Amino acid sequence: MKQKLWQFGTREVVFAAIGAALYGVLSWATNFLQIPAAGNVSVRPAVAIPMFFGIVFGPIVGFISGFLGNIMGDLLSGYGFWFWWDLGNGIQAMVPGLIFLSIVNYRDFGSIIRAEVMVVLGIIAGMGLASLSEMWVSGIDFATTVAVNFLPAFITNAVWGLILVPILMVAYSAVQSRSGR
Amino acid sequence: MLVTWAYHFRDSWMEKIDSRARWIFSLLFLFTISMYWDIRFLLFFFALAWIWYSLARVSFKETRRAWLMVSILLFSMIIVNTILTGGGAAGVVQGPGHPLFSLQFTLPLVSWVINYTLTVERAWFALCQLIRVLAISAIFIIIPFSMDPRLYGITFRRLGLSDRFAFSMELAFRYVPTLARDFAVTLDAQKARGYEIERVEGGLLTQVRRIAPLIIPVTIGSILGGEDMVNAMDLRCFGLRMRTWIQVLTYHWFDYAIIAFGVFLLLATIILRYVYHIGAFWVPPGIIPG
Repeated sequence: MKQKLWQFGTREVVFAAIGAALYGVLSWATNFLQIPAAGNVSVRPAVAIPMFFGIVFGPIVGFISGFLGNIMGDLLSGYGFWFWWDLGNGIQAMVPGLIFLSIVNYRDFGSIIRAEVMVVLGIIAGMGLASLSEMWVSGIDFATTVAVNFLPAFITNAVWGLILVPILMVAYSAVQSRSGR
Repeated sequence: MLVTWAYHFRDSWMEKIDSRARWIFSLLFLFTISMYWDIRFLLFFFALAWIWYSLARVSFKETRRAWLMVSILLFSMIIVNTILTGGGAAGVVQGPGHPLFSLQFTLPLVSWVINYTLTVERAWFALCQLIRVLAISAIFIIIPFSMDPRLYGITFRRLGLSDRFAFSMELAFRYVPTLARDFAVTLDAQKARGYEIERVEGGLLTQVRRIAPLIIPVTIGSILGGEDMVNAMDLRCFGLRMRTWIQVLTYHWFDYAIIAFGVFLLLATIILRYVYHIGAFWVPPGIIPG
């Protein structure tokens, strides 16, 4: 069946839900991981999951996994509700999904490289938006939001995304044939 | 591993308010307060936020983790931005200002002379930032503690989002206990193979190598399980007709009043700010020296 980039059928509904729940639960479960000597900034390996879901199932699935998953992670951790950071996480996962149709073989080196590039672009777009929103909400200036919000989020998300997304793609390719779709 | 939501029934006023009205008011509040830097208006919204917060009957003990995170964010943003760097505060604080505190010292080795001056205006602006962020935090922190997770799906559906998006949200909440169980099973299986989660220390790359054996199996296992769910839903003709929901949301007169109040605040703010130019950053003349 011919796929469309922005399709949102039954399959996408289910995997968006799974992606969101996975991101939420694994974010909560790995809250104990902290960046050394960086205050209360926790490292989130689970950030790779919405990006991976975007690449495999499309940009809408990626967006919902990131947006809703971040909401759920914060709900489980008791951190409240932070709309701009939820939106940023959604965009961060949606951008890699834009190459969803172009990837056929998840083990192919070229596909992995394209995915890596989109992961970085997604993080810049998503975390950039969330960081810039602090200028409007909190009144801080551009330099401060870059130093305090954007750079820590970009660096940690980029490391987890660049390392875990290819691993997930290769693991998925091994089970892809079982889905029959 | 037990995963629970922070919400439990409290029989509070907040739970009587329709969840749609709560979301609408919270978002209107966010947009409205973000247009002010005059502390007189900020204090009004600050008081309003804490009245709203008190309606939820949530104890500080339950929310202390959230407040700790807000405090750390506030500290880093306000101290770094306003106090230490004196950054332009997004163009809000104009002019050189009136000095409150001055410091001069020389950095050793490089012999750079550092002149630092904290002005009354920047300190006052830091206070305004504090009040604004605390007010916004009070409005949103109580949401997970005072809103039944079962209502999220239907709330967003009735707010106009698509059936599929709302159902996806509903399904995600339903999946949380399942995935938490799968995570616990995978963790136990890996521990039986010598995996030590307590020793996930070291640099970032070391942590990546240690976390991967946990995240990869859980993720792929969930995807495989998801295929069964997709087949089950397709067999039941999901998506062919409008979906019904077991929960029912009903507006009461006070929900309309809350929404109307929120809209009134927003409209009044737009007029005050952009027609009469009231509400911008203001420093009380009495605190300016000289």
